[in-house]
Formats: sequence, structure tokens, C-alpha cells
Amino acid sequence: MSGHRIRLLMWKEFLQLRRDPLLLRLLFLMPILQLLLFGYVVAADVKNLSTAVVDLDRTSTSRALEASFGASDYFVITQHPGETDLKHLMDTGAISIAIVIPEGTQAALDQGQTAPIGVVVDGSDSQVASVGSGYASQIIARFNADRMASQGISVQAPGVDARVRVMFNPTLASVNTMIPGLVAAIVMISIMAVMGQAVVKERERGTLEQMFVTPIKPVEYLIGKVTPYAIAATVQLLVVALVGIYWFGVPFAGQLSVVAAGLGLFMLTSIGMGLLISLVSHTRQQAQQLMMLLLLPSFVLSGFIFPIDSMPAAIQPLSWFIPLTWAIQILRGAFIKGSGFEALSTQFWVLGLFAVVIFGAAIAATRRRLTE
Amino acid sequence: MTTTATAPAIEATGLSRRFGDVQAVDGVDLRIAKGAVFGLLGPDGAGKSTLIRMLATVLGPDDGDARVAGHSVRRASEKVTPLIGYMSQQFSLYPDLTVAENIDFFAKLRGVPKDVRRTRMMKLLEGMGLAEFVDRQAGKLSGGMKQKLFLASTLMHEPDVLLLDEPTTGVDPVSRREFWRILAGLHRQGTTVLVATPYMDEAERCTEVAFLESGRIRHQGSPAQIKALVPGRLFEVTADDPRAALAALQASVDRPSLPGLLSVHLYGDVLRVLLETDDPASVHAALQAAGIGAEVRPAAVDMETAFAFLAELGTAA
Repeated sequence: MSGHRIRLLMWKEFLQLRRDPLLLRLLFLMPILQLLLFGYVVAADVKNLSTAVVDLDRTSTSRALEASFGASDYFVITQHPGETDLKHLMDTGAISIAIVIPEGTQAALDQGQTAPIGVVVDGSDSQVASVGSGYASQIIARFNADRMASQGISVQAPGVDARVRVMFNPTLASVNTMIPGLVAAIVMISIMAVMGQAVVKERERGTLEQMFVTPIKPVEYLIGKVTPYAIAATVQLLVVALVGIYWFGVPFAGQLSVVAAGLGLFMLTSIGMGLLISLVSHTRQQAQQLMMLLLLPSFVLSGFIFPIDSMPAAIQPLSWFIPLTWAIQILRGAFIKGSGFEALSTQFWVLGLFAVVIFGAAIAATRRRLTE
Repeated sequence: MTTTATAPAIEATGLSRRFGDVQAVDGVDLRIAKGAVFGLLGPDGAGKSTLIRMLATVLGPDDGDARVAGHSVRRASEKVTPLIGYMSQQFSLYPDLTVAENIDFFAKLRGVPKDVRRTRMMKLLEGMGLAEFVDRQAGKLSGGMKQKLFLASTLMHEPDVLLLDEPTTGVDPVSRREFWRILAGLHRQGTTVLVATPYMDEAERCTEVAFLESGRIRHQGSPAQIKALVPGRLFEVTADDPRAALAALQASVDRPSLPGLLSVHLYGDVLRVLLETDDPASVHAALQAAGIGAEVRPAAVDMETAFAFLAELGTAA
């Protein structure tokens, strides 16, 4: 191993990167564009739902209940229609949720009976429906608890009383889970894209063959080739992490060492995958297509965009074979829950195994294939 | 080291390489003396590139071995590479780096000392008429200039053996002549050059040539020896209607009407006829019988004719 030859190769790589202003711009525009997309569009939370309240009871209790809905960020009470107008308002999309307080609610409560409250949700947007109805039942539950406490009654409420408490991300801000996932995704995209392209490019141009009549060794070549892009990827993810923390207000509860270790292992895995792509591809187009083939299932199945738990049970095991799944779990754990190595030991072991196997396979294949 | 003054620069024994179903190089034995300019001739797909790539250690042989500059390409490739310069058929420098950056990069990789790098580069570039383009990106040079730059880059570590795979293919005639002038200079300095070429006029400039076909060496020797392999006498026939004349003579091959006619080819408007005898009277007679007016003159065998006839006679034999 010669540090001199590795440095020489890195210098050449930076020189070429500087001569390619388009690639350079893409490298820094891509994470910013992704941040904007994921931070503002995908992660848009269910808030400010247009709400109609149909108060048929017209008592202090019903007014208090309406007030507790109006006080939350999630609902904006825009209408007080009659019961018959509800369907029309829903159809036109003027409201997405309606609260119906039946006549006799206060009377029933005073007699110690259960009083049913109607929550009508527009189900055409499933996310609005599930999140909206969830918020509504939380508000009603809290209203109940407050009322009983104020009356000095410590009652076992009749029936099952579901109390949902969201841990670690109480506001359910999806940006908080998106940004750590995005950090991992960017590492994967940029390293795989560049590694896949860079080595194939040298093969296409024949410069790789010329390289092998010099004393450079395959390992030196790989290190010299990979390091500049690993540095570029690190800059990218720092941009994403810092913008995420300071602009989008993503809390960072964890230890830097956990994040660094997780990203390091994931970088090795990505480098290995990029190399394997470039070894089986003969042209840059092939490498490009192959990369898309790997990226799409990674994004869909890893829990980056869709929660793994909501996938069909038969599909879920597939996510175990995707390195991004484990990287995202480590990053989300570290960012949001402040989990340490102990809590994430399974994830670290699996990701470590991926890194060893994939990177090892890439090195072994490089020794054999680069010279062909 | 067992290398003596008489040891060959390149010595291949039974060198073979297969790609799938194609036997690209099939048991090639080759001895190239030090200081030779050795031409490797043959049609596309004959195995020239595969042979050169094995000698350059970038491709491993399936069978056989070769000693290049005194070392085995199989067992000691790391000792071979510092002593050779290899120009692949494809231009293999970085198009987005400048002339100077390309030369510097590969020279540094090969460990050329800093104090000689600059002077050697300028000397090479001046000798090739590239000195004014040092800061131009390699991708923006013309085809001929690219090849000269590539050669300059492979000469920076002063190799003993140069392996050139069709360095002048796709290069204009002026640049080709210029390129061979540089090779002649290297020859005078004692560098051994192995050059693959599809151009027969370039073969004439070699001290020795080998004709490769379907992965095997068919003929080998100095250009004079190769030409001497052609039997009989060569005549050129200029006819009013060359195609009719060709048809008339081809019909007579191996017939008693025209004894001693070995072969006939059409080059442009001129027929080249190979006869066993020194007397072209039978050709005259045959053409007159077919009603074709023609003039017949004796001609000297050149490399192009030699290989055309040898290929034909070889397949007939």
C-alpha cells in the first residue's frame, strides 16, 4: 500500500470533479431539493382540518366540548350547520371532519350514563381520516378526564378507555422521522450513483486498463477512488442533518457516536453495492438502470416512506434484507429516541454483517473482474 | 537475472486465450529480438489485441506463458509493467484532464522522479509537436494529436519494450507518417516495438512481421522474407474492361487452357496475376481469346499483395 499513489488518485479525482460543474452542482443541489420535498411536501402534517360542529344539545357541556376542539391546532371550526347539511358540506370538501353532539348529552352525563358523540370523517383521504379521528378521540378522552376530575369523581369509566400516548414524537411531526431517514437515503443515492458510474466510466474509457500497467494495486485504486466521494457524501449529509435540526427543528436527542458508527457501516455497504453494480455493468446506462432497480425497492420497503408495520405481513420480511431498513432504524432511534449502542445492538449487528459481506464481496470481485 | 545480450525482448510459448466459444489466441509462439520493430498484421478479429493485452499483463492467458523484458507475464507481472509501455487500441487517457496533467498523473503513478519529469515531458512533447498544447484538455485534441499524447505518456518512464495496439487506426495519413517517424527514432535508441496494424504500408517499415489469422501465426519473417514466400512471378494487367478480364482469367485458373496461373486479384482498376512462369504470353492469349484488349507488365510484390496471395494459397493448401 502506498499512500503516495492513493493521494495521487484522489487529487486526480478532485481535479476531474472540479472540471465537471454539472456533477458538482448536482451533488449539492440534490440533498437540498430532497430536503425541500420531504420536509415540506411529503412530511406535511395533518393540521388545521376544516371542522363543522353540529351542536344539538346547546348546553354548557356541549359548548365546553366544542371549545376544546377549537383550542387544538388540528381542528379549525369553520361551520355550525344543521344535521341535514352535513352531507353536502362533506361532498363539496368544505369540511373534512364533523363533530355531532346529540341532544341530551349533558343530561345523560349528569345521570352518570355514557353519552355518545358523533365523529364524522371524510374517508376519501385515508391519512386525514385516520389521523383526524385519532385526534378527535384523544380530545374527547381528555375532555372526559377533565370533567370527572373537576367533579371530584374518581370513577372507573364504563367500558374500555383507550389512552393513546405517543412517545418520543408527541406532535407526530413526520419531518422528525423523515430527516433521519433522508440522511441515510442520501448516503445511499450519492455513493451508489457515483461509485457505480465512476468505475464503469473508467472501464468504458480504457483508463482502467492503462492504470493496470502501472504499479497501482487494486486496493489502492479503490481507496483513492472512493474517498473523494465518501467525503462529498459526508458533506451532503451534514447539510441535510444541520438544515433538518436548525430549520425544520428536528430534535437531536442522541449521541453523535451512534450516528457516526451507523452511517460509517452504511457507507461501506453502499460503496460495496456501487462497486458490484459497476463490475457487472459494461456501460454507464446499464449501471444507471441497475441502480434504479436497487433504489426503488429500498425506498419503498425500508420504512423510509411507508411504515413497515402497515405492509402486508407476507411482504414485511423482505425489508430485513434491505440495508437501508437497518440504517434508518439506527438513525431514527438515535435522533428521536436518543437510543444508544445497547438499544440498537440488533440493528448494528445486522448492518455490520451487511457491510462485511457486501463490501467484502465487492473487493473480492474487483480483484478478479477489474483486470478482465 | 539471466538476461543476456542475445535474450529476446519478447518470447511467447503456446500463449492461448479463449472468450466463451471463441479461441481468440491459439497457441502462439513468438520470439522478438531486442531492438526490433515487429509488426503484428492480420484482419479484424484475428486476435491481435488479445495477444498484445496478454503481453501487456492486463489480460491473463488461459494457457502458455510469455517472457516480456525478461520476466514472465504470468508469474511476475509486477516486474514486467515498469519495463513496458502499452498503448491500447482505444485512447485511454482522461479527456477532462489537460495534456500536462495526464502525463504527470501517469508518470507519478509509475514513480518517475520529480527532477526529470518536467524536462522529459517537454522534450517528448516538443519532439511530437505538442508543446503548445500542454494546457489543453486531452479530449479537445485531434485524433492524431491524441495518439501522440498517448505515446508520449507511455514513454515517460523510458520503457524497454513498447506494445502498441493499432496506434494509427483512424489517424490521418500525415499524422500516421509523423507517428512512424517517432517510432523510427525510438528504434534507433534501441527500444523494442511491437505494433499491431491493419495497414500494409506500415508493415513495410517493420524489421520483422507476423501475420495472425484466427488466433494463429500463419507467416513470420522480415518483409523481404515474407515477399519471397510468394511463388512465381507477379504481373499487372491493365485492361479496357478490368471486370471482364478478371472473370475471364478466374475461369482459367487450374485449367489446361492457361497453364501456370496461380492466382488473380483486382486492385482498383489493375489486375494482379501470379504466374508460375516468367512469360506472360499465356495471359495475353487468354485475354485476346475473350476479346479483351489488355497490357501486361511484370510487377514487384509488395506486402499487401504478398498477404493476399499467401492467404489464398494458404487456404487452398
